[in-house]
Amino acid sequence: MKCSPILVIAAVLTLAIAARSAEIPDRPEKLQFPPLKYEPPTPDDYRVQLKSGPVAYIMPDHERPLVNLTIYIRTGTYLEPAGKEGLAELTGWLLAHGGAGTNSAEQLEERLAFLAANLGTYVGDTEGTVSLNLLSKDTDEGFALLHDVLFAPRFQDDKITLRKSQMLQSMKQRNDDSSDIEGREAGFLSRGEKFFENRYATSNSLASIAALDLEKFHYAWFWPSNFVVGVSGDFDRKDMIAKLEKLFSGSPRWLKADLAPVVRPPSAIPTNFTFAASGVYLVNKPEVDQGRVTMMLPGIMRDSPDYYAGLVMNSILGGGGFSSRLMGRVRSDEGLAYDVHSRFPGGVYYPGVISIGFQSKSRTVAYAASLCVEEMQKIATAPVTESELNIAKKSFINSFPQKFATKAAVSAAFASDEFTGRHATDPAFWKNFRDKIQAVTAADVQRVAKKYLTPDQLVVLVVGNESDILLGHPNHPVQLKALLGGKFTELPLRDPLTMQPLKP
Amino acid sequence: MMAINKLTPALTLFTLLCSLPTHAQQVPVVETNLSNGMNVLLVERHDEPSVAGAWVAHVGSANERPGITGIAHLFEHMMFKGTTTIGTTDAKTDFEILAEQEKVRDEMRNEEAKMRREIREGKINGLMKPENWTPRYRELQKQFQSLVDAERKVLVKNEFDKIYTANGASGMNAFTMQDMTAYFCSVPANKLELWMWMESGRILHPVFREFYSERDVVFEERRMRLESTPLGVPMETFNAMFWEALPYSWDTLGWPSDVSTISKPQADAFYATFYAPQNLTLILVGDFKANEIVPQLEKYFGRIPRGKTEAPDLVTLEPKQTVEKRMNAEVDANPQVEIFWHTVPFGHKDSYALEILAQILATHTGRLYKGLVLGSGVASDVGAAQYSMKWAGFFDMSGEAAPGHTPEEVEKAIYAEIQKLQQTEVPAEELQKVKNNFAAGEYRKLNSNMSILQQLIWNEGEGDWREINAANAKTQAVTAADVKRVAAEYLTKENRAVATFTRKAATPKTNE
Repeated sequence: MKCSPILVIAAVLTLAIAARSAEIPDRPEKLQFPPLKYEPPTPDDYRVQLKSGPVAYIMPDHERPLVNLTIYIRTGTYLEPAGKEGLAELTGWLLAHGGAGTNSAEQLEERLAFLAANLGTYVGDTEGTVSLNLLSKDTDEGFALLHDVLFAPRFQDDKITLRKSQMLQSMKQRNDDSSDIEGREAGFLSRGEKFFENRYATSNSLASIAALDLEKFHYAWFWPSNFVVGVSGDFDRKDMIAKLEKLFSGSPRWLKADLAPVVRPPSAIPTNFTFAASGVYLVNKPEVDQGRVTMMLPGIMRDSPDYYAGLVMNSILGGGGFSSRLMGRVRSDEGLAYDVHSRFPGGVYYPGVISIGFQSKSRTVAYAASLCVEEMQKIATAPVTESELNIAKKSFINSFPQKFATKAAVSAAFASDEFTGRHATDPAFWKNFRDKIQAVTAADVQRVAKKYLTPDQLVVLVVGNESDILLGHPNHPVQLKALLGGKFTELPLRDPLTMQPLKP
Repeated sequence: MMAINKLTPALTLFTLLCSLPTHAQQVPVVETNLSNGMNVLLVERHDEPSVAGAWVAHVGSANERPGITGIAHLFEHMMFKGTTTIGTTDAKTDFEILAEQEKVRDEMRNEEAKMRREIREGKINGLMKPENWTPRYRELQKQFQSLVDAERKVLVKNEFDKIYTANGASGMNAFTMQDMTAYFCSVPANKLELWMWMESGRILHPVFREFYSERDVVFEERRMRLESTPLGVPMETFNAMFWEALPYSWDTLGWPSDVSTISKPQADAFYATFYAPQNLTLILVGDFKANEIVPQLEKYFGRIPRGKTEAPDLVTLEPKQTVEKRMNAEVDANPQVEIFWHTVPFGHKDSYALEILAQILATHTGRLYKGLVLGSGVASDVGAAQYSMKWAGFFDMSGEAAPGHTPEEVEKAIYAEIQKLQQTEVPAEELQKVKNNFAAGEYRKLNSNMSILQQLIWNEGEGDWREINAANAKTQAVTAADVKRVAAEYLTKENRAVATFTRKAATPKTNE
């Protein structure tokens, strides 16, 4: 044995014990914390109306030599012509991978890769994003390439063919993972077959898309006046404004005068969704021994007066992780699920969907579902405890600074508010957030629970091994079919290439 | 206090290096040790009022043995169940009930042994189905349940989490891998002492209450991650085939039979062996003054007695593979191929060249995508990566067959790309492109307190936190000749295992 380290440790230990002037309390409530004063950044300190059209949020941050830019674009799948489902996704991908300006797809990708610049382009349901993360020394070259991507994409034919083939490959896997089936069917039930969110690309819709469709889709929406920008990183504010003005100016639109007729302001985002009749819906997936469950109810807009009480109620019910009731009951008490959660999102363009989700072995699916229904009823019929209310409210209030943990997060939050209109309608949203949460009472929580957690509207989706799930468990005499008074429907799988229901 | 005079930032040229993008940005880590041997890493970062904190236990599924596979992960779950003062209103009664519970569990374990015998004799087909349980076992289950109900009266449900949540902690979680177990969260800067109180408390006197319901939770996690995903179990099988001697052959989630029989006494023994302070590293990143908090760390964490014995070293070395291994699996997924080669562990001198090699093959401008997706078109997607773990490493290449092509064609095309790299040095520009991406990645991963924390956790858990600052220079020093040499040395036929996956021909699922 070496002896010197032991001597050192002994000496240090003596010092350490001497240093323990204060005893360690037995409970954390006895600890004293210094006050933490925090005010969130103010959007208008960073907001710039660019002459070239977009509003930009500009956040200098010199810690690392990087620039991080995201452009939000008013476009989305809701603008896809009928029969061309997949066009928005295809256009989004091709922007970064189909060549631009004088560069072929290969040249563009090689140059960006050599600069270690990350370019991402995507068109989702109600917005498009183009993002670029690169070393600040390469900003000018990167922005020049980005200008071409935004305004002069080439949509190379061979890349369209390639991407269609890759999309078709991933469509073939639509029924392979039960979580994918669950996500899609939950959408169909909570929004209806015809709602734009539920229009999926099919083999036919992909086949009907030609290069001209991509050009038109891009040309219609990729105008600077449709952009909102968030940028953070290693730059001077004034320089960045000049660089952005240059980036968004001189879009070579005159080259495509024949496409001019497609240009119009984006139409309003549709809100014509429908919510399925209350009941249990089951998709049989015999290969898996774990049922996936999503329970759904119609929800609210994010500017609803019930929004804050809804946040707190949801946190207590199942949104607050281990501190929530569902986690305590379904996971900790009963060991029935690894993940159990609830969500109460405020919709931006149309009301959100309130949901509870969990996964449990087939034989205990019905029992776990019955516990979730019980917890929904319980929070609607009796007030939450002061302690529960306190934990939920303090959680939102004390973790608030984390929302703005990085400059990139700040610019993204502000740009998103600008894009979705919240900056215009509620510019002090973040400033007032903690006060609004603090004002929520136990009565408010019960009121929103009673108003929205309505069992007569509940839709329960189950994906899993039907025979085992319906068999139930001898220790728990609960039957799935009886969960909602006998309202039970079997849903067929869908053909992955047409999305039409398969004949059983 | 002790070691304060050792507190010199690892790098004083921090700001200077910021302006030189070709150099990596150094993370100014302050390292110290507590009196009980616990290692401490501190990174001051003052631009947001929070601290991301973690501790890494140098133990993972590689420290398990057959019979208790999955215990490192189950143990991680148990560390959220509270302490002698957190999680209960009456510790004395709680301990009495826990002891009663173990007596019933001992009897249940006897019954389980009988039932396992019945499985071996072909009388029942498993312990999962309730119909297979013996009458005595069902009776004991009821007894156990009544003790659970009794204990619930003195429990404060998930109190450990509730204290953190109410104090504004976020991202509280933990993970278990083959080589490490890490517990982390982010707290407001003024609540750093709470973090010390909570974490030192659960290391010092954890109470494993609700052990058996949590064991069920872990089994649900296994079902979710492995058994209910198209490639989960087939990849578990492939992994078990690839590793022969090293305990990387089982998944961190453990074998089903083991996970469902691990006992609380086994967890107690595991804790005593692997959670001694000299086997732990504390890491803090954020808004604090390093020299001010070291005495406080000593006060809270230094009180944990040093373990009497050291955690046993893992002595197994994977024997050199001498024959190619192959498997085919019919699955609910597109046809694809996965190939593993035995390579080198974390920090090995060849690991940097292997990382470069993987990036030359991977990405949209890499050799595999250009050769197999854009070129011959045999694949619709491809991937390559070097995994350098603590005790060993492997190189992974994979590809999904394009319509009209087979996994075997993809496999052959992968070998053709390897052969080129074994015969001809990579051109300078291609090598530089890959190195540029490693250099930029050094900045990108230092995005926030939490991302710096995760980088330190991973490097320290795999072998040495210093690699967070040292790896880039070694990567940038790799030459084209090095890349060619490692491609030739490691990517050989006898050193590989190949899994081909074909789509299960069950009910027709497309109209094709």
